[in-house]
Amino acid sequence: MKAELFKMRTTPGLWILVGVTLLLTGLLGILPDFFVTVGPHHTIFTAPHTVPQLRLLVGAGYEPGALLAPVLGVLCITTEYRQKVLTVTLLVTPRRSVVLVAKVVASAIWGVVLGVASLVMVAALGVPLFESQGGRFSTLVHQIGPVVPGLLGAYALLAVFGMGIGTLLRNQVGAVIFALALSLVLEPVIVLLVHHILHDDLNWFPSRSTAALAGGLTRQTQGNAGEGPLLSWWLGGLALLGWGAGSAAVGYFTTFRRDVT
Amino acid sequence: MTVATPPAGATIEVRGLTKNFGAVHAVSGLDFTVEPGRVTGFLGPNGAGKTTTLRMLLGLVSPTAGSATIGGRRYHDLPAPTRQVGAVLEATSFHPARRARAHLKMIAMAAGIDYSRIDAVLDLVGLTGDAKRRVGGFSTGMRQRLELAGALLGDPGVLILDEPSNGLDPQGIAWLREFLRHLAGEGRTVLVSSHLLAEMAQTVDDVVIVSQGQLRAQGPLSSLIARTRSSMRVRSPEADRLAAVVGQLGLAPRRVAADVVMVDGATPEQLGPVIAANQIVVYELVQEAEDLEALFLGLTTAYGAPAATGGQWVPPPGAPAAPSGAVPPPPGWAPPPGPPTGGVPS
Repeated sequence: MKAELFKMRTTPGLWILVGVTLLLTGLLGILPDFFVTVGPHHTIFTAPHTVPQLRLLVGAGYEPGALLAPVLGVLCITTEYRQKVLTVTLLVTPRRSVVLVAKVVASAIWGVVLGVASLVMVAALGVPLFESQGGRFSTLVHQIGPVVPGLLGAYALLAVFGMGIGTLLRNQVGAVIFALALSLVLEPVIVLLVHHILHDDLNWFPSRSTAALAGGLTRQTQGNAGEGPLLSWWLGGLALLGWGAGSAAVGYFTTFRRDVT
Repeated sequence: MTVATPPAGATIEVRGLTKNFGAVHAVSGLDFTVEPGRVTGFLGPNGAGKTTTLRMLLGLVSPTAGSATIGGRRYHDLPAPTRQVGAVLEATSFHPARRARAHLKMIAMAAGIDYSRIDAVLDLVGLTGDAKRRVGGFSTGMRQRLELAGALLGDPGVLILDEPSNGLDPQGIAWLREFLRHLAGEGRTVLVSSHLLAEMAQTVDDVVIVSQGQLRAQGPLSSLIARTRSSMRVRSPEADRLAAVVGQLGLAPRRVAADVVMVDGATPEQLGPVIAANQIVVYELVQEAEDLEALFLGLTTAYGAPAATGGQWVPPPGAPAAPSGAVPPPPGWAPPPGPPTGGVPS
């Protein structure tokens, strides 16, 4: 377990993702929150003040996380194949199930770290900007409780889901592209089509499960990813965990146990 | 002051080991034993199934049939594999961005090995000065040394090395040779694969020779050396008469050039007096010992090649029958170019 965490820490992939998370959190999460609409066709740059707006600011890392946490999980396993480090890993720990469980836990922990990085960006950029625009810090503090646990939980479980994808698709580039395409294109299209054709909201799909888990942030701010109501936060978390554990289990039985030649 | 006792080696036993990759028979019914306190060369041409066999021994590849054990246990079942077995498989199992020391620390961390061993093995393989460098900047030889350092981290009693001299310079090869002999001298088990017998001849005590996934020979190297034949090379303007005279002695002369006759199995003491008695003009009379490598090539390229156990060379169990008319190739015969049958990792 400790070695799995160390392994990621000593590769550039993790730190590049942390950097990209900070950047996207700042550019796409924090700054847009300060452009507040005050009338028809009239937007001003000021401190957000409504509860949904304040929650959006605290959870500014939500959108980048939905995109990057799965990529982190993908890297956690596919780097082993790409750099052939899996040989060394399995010589030290021959039982592959033990290796996989360690990677699941390591992915979740690094997912939380990525989430914390987004919160650091909020503290470093969002809070000073908020106060400089007349916002009161105490109003922001009140939104930490409803937003942060769900946000970090989503980061952790999305990373586990990414790990599962990486277990199924051993090619690193292919797995990263698939993870990004899944959240950007495939899943929204599937959810939309199924909603219109079968009138089912697919609440248990990864993006809507994530939205449910981060309910304190999403329910009052962005609405739902689909049309209907979301699952409860814990059911959403369970569904997301199911995606991660399920894909990792399928990957274990189909690819991870294969010969390492 | 106490002196640490080197860990005892364990016997490696391979029994009926078979691996098929689809229709490709990479390894077929392999049987051999590797004893502690000796360096055993695992030899065969590229594609012979050496790497596949070693990977099955180390639990990385699952056998289709048979077993491979170390000290009576499968690698998976060893309680502390890194402390019992050290393996060098390929010089590419590194993240290029990771520093050498971090690579070893990662192994030590996972295996519960004291970090003080990291500096010890780095020093042992001569990489102390490069410990903080990223592996991506290492030469092949340095990577090979780092791989060896990783194998030695747990101070194991058994060492399994796949082509460890690849990429090493002559000094490195000489160092490795001495090092392996030293480890075997401490009672450890050393199994080292190579496709070059001549390179291993100065290092190994025993040999296991495979080709096309099958055992071709097994036994002490001294038994193999005893099989090498010597020939007499005679250059004479009277080659026809020379061949006729030699033939009368019951020997089999071969004309290899217009004025050169080769006589296999003959000695100068046999030919000299006969040539003198028949007053044959001779420009050159040279004894040529068969190259060990040529014998190796003969063993690994001919079907039905003999195998040996304990110095007594016998056909390997389960070996296919020699095809009709198959003969051992002559010295210097080289295998045809192109990938060997199977084309599997070796």
